[in-house]
Amino acid sequence: MKEQLFENLRKSMLDYDEKSVNILVSDAINSKINPLEIVDVFTQSMAEVGDGFEKGELFLPDLMMAAETMNVGMAPIEKMIIRNGLKKKTYGKIVIGTVFGDIHDIGKNIVATLLSANGFDVIDIGANAKSDRFIEAVKQHNPNILAMSALLTTTAPEQGRVIMALKEVGIRSKIKIMVGGGSITREFAQKIGADGYEPTAPLAVKLAKKFVGKS
Amino acid sequence: MARKGFKRKFPPLEILSREDVEQIKMATLDILKETGVVIEHKDALKLLEKNDCIVDYDSKRVRMPEGLVEECLRKCPSTFRVKARDPENDLIFGGNTVYFKSSPGMDIVDLDSWAHRTATEKEYEEAVIVLDTLEHHDWFSCYTPYFGYEGVPEVMKMTMGLIKRIKYSTKFTGLCFTNYNWEFNFRIAKVAGMEVLCPALMASSPLTLSEFAVDAAFKTIEYGFPIGVDTGSVFGATAPATLAGALALFNAELIAGIVLIQLKKPYSRVFVWGFPNPQNMVTGAPGFGNIANALFNVANNQIWRDYGVPLRNTASVYTNSKKIDFQNGIERGMPAILSALSGAHSIHLYGGIYGEITHSPIQSILDDDLAGMIGHFIQGINVNDETLALDLIHEVGPIPGHFLNKRHTYEWWKKEQYMQKVGDILTYPEWEQSGKKDCIDYAKERMKRIISEHEVSVNLTKEQEEEINVIVKEAEAFYKKRGDIK
Repeated sequence: MKEQLFENLRKSMLDYDEKSVNILVSDAINSKINPLEIVDVFTQSMAEVGDGFEKGELFLPDLMMAAETMNVGMAPIEKMIIRNGLKKKTYGKIVIGTVFGDIHDIGKNIVATLLSANGFDVIDIGANAKSDRFIEAVKQHNPNILAMSALLTTTAPEQGRVIMALKEVGIRSKIKIMVGGGSITREFAQKIGADGYEPTAPLAVKLAKKFVGKS
Repeated sequence: MARKGFKRKFPPLEILSREDVEQIKMATLDILKETGVVIEHKDALKLLEKNDCIVDYDSKRVRMPEGLVEECLRKCPSTFRVKARDPENDLIFGGNTVYFKSSPGMDIVDLDSWAHRTATEKEYEEAVIVLDTLEHHDWFSCYTPYFGYEGVPEVMKMTMGLIKRIKYSTKFTGLCFTNYNWEFNFRIAKVAGMEVLCPALMASSPLTLSEFAVDAAFKTIEYGFPIGVDTGSVFGATAPATLAGALALFNAELIAGIVLIQLKKPYSRVFVWGFPNPQNMVTGAPGFGNIANALFNVANNQIWRDYGVPLRNTASVYTNSKKIDFQNGIERGMPAILSALSGAHSIHLYGGIYGEITHSPIQSILDDDLAGMIGHFIQGINVNDETLALDLIHEVGPIPGHFLNKRHTYEWWKKEQYMQKVGDILTYPEWEQSGKKDCIDYAKERMKRIISEHEVSVNLTKEQEEEINVIVKEAEAFYKKRGDIK
């Protein structure tokens, strides 16, 4: 029965059918299935969607819809995990934000969504974030990775300022830094002292996994 | 005196019904009134509240009444002149005139490896000289040709680029803002005796105007320069994936800017900018080169004709191709002609290759032929006694009669054909004898000639150069103090 339920959950995930996912998760919870096993179904389903994207069979809206569907299904499971004192598997913690002067945050949101759906614990500090906000978040959450976005060529140098500010307060070496955004290039990332750059959201997920030794 | 551009001789291409146009316009009004726009600028919020907008100071959300929106649109001049350094290069936007402008790229692209890198100062100057020379290139884009050149700090790039354009060309130029450089750039333009057109009020889609954009707009108004309203919707990401909805939202973002401008200074000269693209659902980048861009622009040209405000189109230049190749040609050519047919007042075209990443003067030279061909087409066909040539047809009669030796042919053929300057128009044997040259080979040869023969129509005076140098020093000091220049 559990196998059938999981198969139905997987199919509903791949149909991005939030309603069915909700019902199936309720059934699973009522059947006293270990919530961490349900999380595994979500993770495997997301991996399938990711594979489809890499093969060119699926597109960004598919990734986003799958992530949204997963979020819906995960909400009651997260509560159960906390209530039962269980520990969810996570690849690591990431603080992400768009730098000061730039209020474009769609790209950053896509990356955050995909990181979260791929098993990272994501702390999104939003857009137009000054160095102080990044430093505060790094100090507070002690992440493995800091991810910064900037769409505009005019705001790109702000990423360098954040890195300088992290150095000044002595916490730069504790984290890996990845940068991205429309105006960013690999050369620019190197110049400002970032640890990595990728041009697309799925590649950013791969880079994050590499940083935490999971690639 | 002003640049002529091309005059479209026939009614514009329209793809929306009257009802479609009204529906989209009503949706735009509804967005402005019901959802409203976030404007992150205290003075702007106060100004809007004073003029009957509903302002929520906590969320910075402004809801605009229909009457105010319509009144502000009416206050925009439907045609206006902008002043270049040489009056021969002034532009008059509006009506049925189509101008072509250049398109920037961050870097220069190598025509063999197609790799890109920062241009040298000499390469920057050469690319400006090419654009100054090309016949159908009417004005420079904001940070054309490249974002900067080697050795210039990031924060000084736009200012130093502007100076190069002013020094090596007398054509009108656009200008963008970054890092509070407006004061320096406007003063440089004033010293040079010209105006600049800046898409200062650049919305961040969806429905947000940043503090910086409003500051830039207010500063532009203070200097009395024309002002561009701009937004960069991405259909399926920052706007609905459906073009009708994207049009309504895109225009709401632009019109919110217009309302603010016309309240700040009524009857300001406003130019509609805009950078619409569908989302590339594979990479997450804007979907350059997608025919949906052209569809969007053609529809929007129809809508803005109704609003009576001049506008430019961008779809014609941002290709997905990284090379000068077939894909590049179709992705820039098709939208460019559709924009010209449907009433864009300016078309973004020259030099840009992939997105805003690469630019090449060779591409600019090729684009001059593209602009020339499109311009020739939209000027249509002259029908009168002389062009009908009925007397001549009677005179020549059947074979062995012919027209090649007639004065009428001599006088008219060049006016009726567009002769490409760098296209390969040879027969096959001639082409083989020429060393199998293609359009890029011819463009390279033309570029050499341009560089060796170029003269600026009006040179900057010694006094002007000195004044500009003083402003540059002030700018450098300002950025050093801010820590932007070490």
